[in-house]
Amino acid sequence: MGVIIEGKGLTKSFGGLTAVKKVDFHLNKGEIVGLIGPNGAGKTTLFNLMSGVYHPEEGTLSFNGMEITSLKSFEICRLGIARTFQIVRPFLKMSCLENVLIGIIGRGDPREGIKAKGEEARKLLKFVSLEGHEKNSANNLTLIEKKRLEMARALATQPRLLLLDEVLAGLNPSEILQALELIEVIRTQLKMTIFWIEHVMGAIMKASDRIIVLDQGEKIKEGRPEEVVNDSKVIEAYLGESDA
Amino acid sequence: MGNKKLWISFAFIILALFPPLFLSQYWLHVMIISLFYVMMASSWNLIAGFTGQVSFAHAAFSGMGAYTSGMLTVYLGLPPWLGILIGTGVAALLGFGLGYLCIRMGGIYLSLTTLGFSEILRIIITNEDQWTRGTMGLQVPGFFVEYSKTSYYYLFLIVTILLLIVIYKIIHSEMGLTFRAVLNDEVAASSSGINTVRVRVLAFAISSAMSGLAGGFYGHYLMLITPDVPSLGQMFLVLAMAVIGGMGSFAGPIVGSFVLEILSEYIRVYGEYHVLLFGLIALAMARFAPEGVVGILRKKWRREWA
Ligand SMILES: Nc1ncnc2c1ncn2[C@@H]1O[C@H](COP(=O)(O)OP(=O)(O)OP(=O)(O)O)[C@@H](O)[C@H]1O
Ligand SMILES: [Mg+2]
Repeated sequence: MGVIIEGKGLTKSFGGLTAVKKVDFHLNKGEIVGLIGPNGAGKTTLFNLMSGVYHPEEGTLSFNGMEITSLKSFEICRLGIARTFQIVRPFLKMSCLENVLIGIIGRGDPREGIKAKGEEARKLLKFVSLEGHEKNSANNLTLIEKKRLEMARALATQPRLLLLDEVLAGLNPSEILQALELIEVIRTQLKMTIFWIEHVMGAIMKASDRIIVLDQGEKIKEGRPEEVVNDSKVIEAYLGESDA
Repeated sequence: MGNKKLWISFAFIILALFPPLFLSQYWLHVMIISLFYVMMASSWNLIAGFTGQVSFAHAAFSGMGAYTSGMLTVYLGLPPWLGILIGTGVAALLGFGLGYLCIRMGGIYLSLTTLGFSEILRIIITNEDQWTRGTMGLQVPGFFVEYSKTSYYYLFLIVTILLLIVIYKIIHSEMGLTFRAVLNDEVAASSSGINTVRVRVLAFAISSAMSGLAGGFYGHYLMLITPDVPSLGQMFLVLAMAVIGGMGSFAGPIVGSFVLEILSEYIRVYGEYHVLLFGLIALAMARFAPEGVVGILRKKWRREWA
């Protein structure tokens, strides 16, 4: 199997607030790992560190054995890490097809012709059930469709590791089932490693191989789903949240 | 390109062949100047409208083109076309350098640095008068052995059309797509594998080269190059043309250039306040109708015809 990504002692603060504190973690190739924790625990910040949106003050990140700590977002993406955003960021003034095309162009492979790229983008839109929206402006999509569009754009970069930030939020139970099927297909057929943040506990516990729990920037627990749900520290962290 | 657009462009080109047959020398001059502004505003739109970088150095780069070509033809006796070619190259290189230096800063810093660059260039041109003839102006040779406004009109028409074709191709290419992605959301573009700094520098260099080219032709038409060519007044006029016509659209700057250049011929008699007036209108447009005149007309037509 082997480790695909590894973080050591990652720390990132904003002003006086330490959003991510000395976090160690790793993912094995082909794994699907859930990242959970109460609001403000630092989950999205950890994703931002992994995708080069921010750089850590301390600690290192390596991907497939290569140090990526201070690389830029586009470099990290080209090495094989793609992501979606918790607060969606599709290119609003561009069509759905153009949104996905950017991911394909982002691979930086000049050998492919524009025709082939268009075909591939169409297929990806179909893959996330957005066929028929090719010429539609991303702005006209519903929130859920925008999330699927971001997923297609991320897949277009042909990542080895996919970071999904709350893709299930706001979906109804049957839509959650569809989304989980999609994620399973991505993992088994496209052979990608998946790291995902979710607040929908049932889903993330059921579908993940392993869970990492953050609280106030620190990793407080890591293990198989059944180990995590019964952990007293984890329960406390979540209880603390509902008290507040 | 859609069939309809192709026919409309074709019709405009055919119509554009006739003005020399019935326009006076004076109005032919206005048309030539308008074509120069079409090149300026359209190429400025490429960076400002398509990648969101408000540069104030665009007139300065046209000045680079004009003075480089002017001095090469005067002092070295090069033919104007070669001078313009080199002037365009110089503008491209300088655009690349300036872009590389200040684009990492982004936003307001880019605007301020380009503003500073224009002023420095203007001061150098004014002071180094043993080469540039300062405010007296540098007399340069024309394009044609026999001076004829009709010849210049067709020359400018051809160059403008070629430049617009290049701009159209860029906008509709993969490069144009990355321009728009960077304008839409830089973080998302970068996270999708787009080297956003490279995209912005490239857009800046291409646009600067185009402005250098336009400036080169302009200089050999006027045959007298003064520091007015790279002035901020000129810059704001170009900005107003693009904004009022409609930034981020292909037709906007074209329409804006003709309308404002022709208008300014009428209001010039009241003094040189027209740039100020256009600036104020542009500000109001940017606030209330950012799609410009072309955007407003498009919406109106869609409502009436659809
Ligand atoms: N750009 C920023 N500037 C300042 N503070 C930030 C920034 N980004 C995150 N933070 C702060 O860092 C902490 C962690 O935020 P983060 O978004 O990583 O949490 P999260 O675990 O993703 O929470 P949620 O479940 O609500 O999405 C929060 O207190 C947040 O306010
Ligand atoms: Mg979050």
